[in-house]
Amino acid sequence: MSPRVLVVDDDAALSEMIGIVLQSENLEPVFSYDGTSALEVFRSSQPDLVLLDLMLPGIDGIEVCGQIRAESGVPIIMLTAKSDTTDVVSGLEAGADDYIAKPFKPKELVARIRARLRRHEEPETERLLIGDLVVDVAGHRVTRGEEVINLTPLEFDLMVALARKPWQVFSREVLLEQVWGYRHQADTRLVNVHVQRLRAKVEQDPENPEVVVTVRGVGYRAGAPPTR
Amino acid sequence: MADRRVPPPWQDRLRRRALLAWRRTRVRLRVLARAWQRSLRVRVSVTTVAVGLVALLTLGAALSGQVRDSLYDARVDEVLTDAAVRAEQAQSAFDNSNAARSQDVVVLGYDVLNSLATTAGAASVLLLRPPGQGTQFPELASDNNQRALITAELREAVRGGDRQMWQAVAIKTGDGEVPGIAAGTMVTLPLVGASELYFVYSLSEEQATLDLLQRVLLVGALALVLLLLVMTWYLTKQVLTPVQQAANTAGRLADGLLDERMTVRGVDELAVLARSFNEMAQSIQDQIERLAHLSQMQQRFVSDVSHELRTPLTTIRMASEVLNASRDDFGPIEARSAELLATQLDRFESLLADLLEISRFDAGAATLEVEETNMVVAVERVIDIVEPLAEQRGSPVARTLPEVPVRVDMDTRRVERVLRNLLVNAVEHGEGKPIEVTMAANARAVSVVVRDHGIGMTPAAAARVFDRFWRADPARTRTLGGTGLGLAISLEDAHLHGGTLEAWGSPGEGAAFRLTLPLRAGLEVREHPLPLVPPREQSDPVEERDPAGPHALPDDFMVEVSE
Repeated sequence: MSPRVLVVDDDAALSEMIGIVLQSENLEPVFSYDGTSALEVFRSSQPDLVLLDLMLPGIDGIEVCGQIRAESGVPIIMLTAKSDTTDVVSGLEAGADDYIAKPFKPKELVARIRARLRRHEEPETERLLIGDLVVDVAGHRVTRGEEVINLTPLEFDLMVALARKPWQVFSREVLLEQVWGYRHQADTRLVNVHVQRLRAKVEQDPENPEVVVTVRGVGYRAGAPPTR
Repeated sequence: MADRRVPPPWQDRLRRRALLAWRRTRVRLRVLARAWQRSLRVRVSVTTVAVGLVALLTLGAALSGQVRDSLYDARVDEVLTDAAVRAEQAQSAFDNSNAARSQDVVVLGYDVLNSLATTAGAASVLLLRPPGQGTQFPELASDNNQRALITAELREAVRGGDRQMWQAVAIKTGDGEVPGIAAGTMVTLPLVGASELYFVYSLSEEQATLDLLQRVLLVGALALVLLLLVMTWYLTKQVLTPVQQAANTAGRLADGLLDERMTVRGVDELAVLARSFNEMAQSIQDQIERLAHLSQMQQRFVSDVSHELRTPLTTIRMASEVLNASRDDFGPIEARSAELLATQLDRFESLLADLLEISRFDAGAATLEVEETNMVVAVERVIDIVEPLAEQRGSPVARTLPEVPVRVDMDTRRVERVLRNLLVNAVEHGEGKPIEVTMAANARAVSVVVRDHGIGMTPAAAARVFDRFWRADPARTRTLGGTGLGLAISLEDAHLHGGTLEAWGSPGEGAAFRLTLPLRAGLEVREHPLPLVPPREQSDPVEERDPAGPHALPDDFMVEVSE
């Protein structure tokens, strides 16, 4: 079964064009043309990924993003014409995983979608320790003691990338390549915002992070497991 | 052995002390001079007091002079009248006497003198014989101490005329002198004949009056000056406090606190000042707010245009890519059309992006995302990206970069964009000749010079090269697809960092572009670590006669890194 992609954009021509491209890539498009109906369509269609325009009539794209994120960890990619504004950061903070600046090429769009849909098909029975957390890679679960911490797939991938090489300091660029699938220069704000979101979920005290540690001037590193 | 240190000679000690005192005085003078220069209040007060003091002293001097003169004149008149009356009394006493012997005359003289001395207000009375008429008649004086007051000059004048003569004298007293008058006249004594009769009057009372008056004047003057000082100090405070307030308010306004106003009190001139000041501040605030509003509208417009244009462009773009991807299935005409559509859309897109970037600069909406970064890495990265293109054109890229990291507060995206622009530009105009990228830093700034040896340009062209859509040769087409805005954007990027971007060119010799950025945000670039004009090709004939030779590197051609 081909993955289903919900396209939320008020521009019918663009939506249709995106639909054509998605179909040619063996993806199944579902459409919603305004912010008000987006959540309904999302619930009824159960997509594997959402393409979300930031500027929408009715409810703003950022708000839609927050609504979807509130009930699902499904990957969300924002479409934006204003890549350099704070809108992008607001969208990322509202829970979007990635963004694509208009105008984009079909290949770029498909690459972004594929990177987000990518699943670790091979069964991994790995158990990773990061800070005082246990990451069950196969079960896609993160636990602190008995408590299960809910992470979106992207946040989970970020955790796994850091936890697999606890000795390595990851620069933002390296994380962008490993987690987001960017090969060339990209916006390091993606990393900053998602590290913040991740910390808000996994850190005991987000002001003094122990799971995702900042290495000043370089990047991030996994926190050491507590010594027993 | 006992310590027999020789004390420094006293001259030395004195000289040192004098030097010290002079230095101290100089410091004090400087402090005073500074107070004079910096405080209007000190200046006004000192000037007022000085003028007041001079005026009062002049007035006092004139007044006491006037009083002294009139007192003196009145006293002189009184004294002379008295002396004349007494002289007549003495003469009649002498005339009526029937002294027959010279001893009798002496006795008579004494009697008359004594009666005169006791009745008249004179300090003393003297009866003298003209010189050269024998000494059998002694000099008679009621007070011998004052004999010296009668000068030969006066005596001669008295003898010369038959009128009363007088002279101002200074009478010695126990503690100093008092002014006095000596008046003389001729009298005729029986038997002895013509003699000189002198009266000496003291003016001590008048002097005391005058002294008292002067003391009162002085005290009054001092009190007045003091009052003047206090008044000026207070008045200047009254005037200067609002002025000071205006200055403070203006300072705060300049700092951007546009709501700052002066307090208006009363209806006087200072209130007018405050009111006018506030009106000015209000007007400035209105203007600034209007401009800010305009700029905001401009920004919103730019962002709206961006969105409105980009959405259809995305659709066109995707359609074109889909068509272009399957152009193998088309006929040659359709295939070429699809290809042209795709490439020209690329161009259209970069043009749109550059236009939006420029309008963002114009709207003042461009923001710098500064991070301390090793600029050497950025330069190398850009060279690595452009190098394949340069090699394709046959231009090797030579790098002369510092071996140590140069940490610069910069927006990497913008700086790399500038460098990429400069390098692509060099490749475009380099005609396959070598390109040199040189980088150096000093304590405050870092420079990157990109040099090509291509067609070059005239100085006039170098001056216009940053203009939007400007082309040195309109007939030449852009082979690398530049938009004509690249250098204009690069210049804005450099300025946004507080840095500079300059161009040099010489036809046939190539061109050089120098980007200089301050190492720390906000630092002022004073000296460029690298020269813009290459030393070998210097067109200035004066420089060619440089004894170091035309191949010498300038002094600042070195790497200085403070870290």
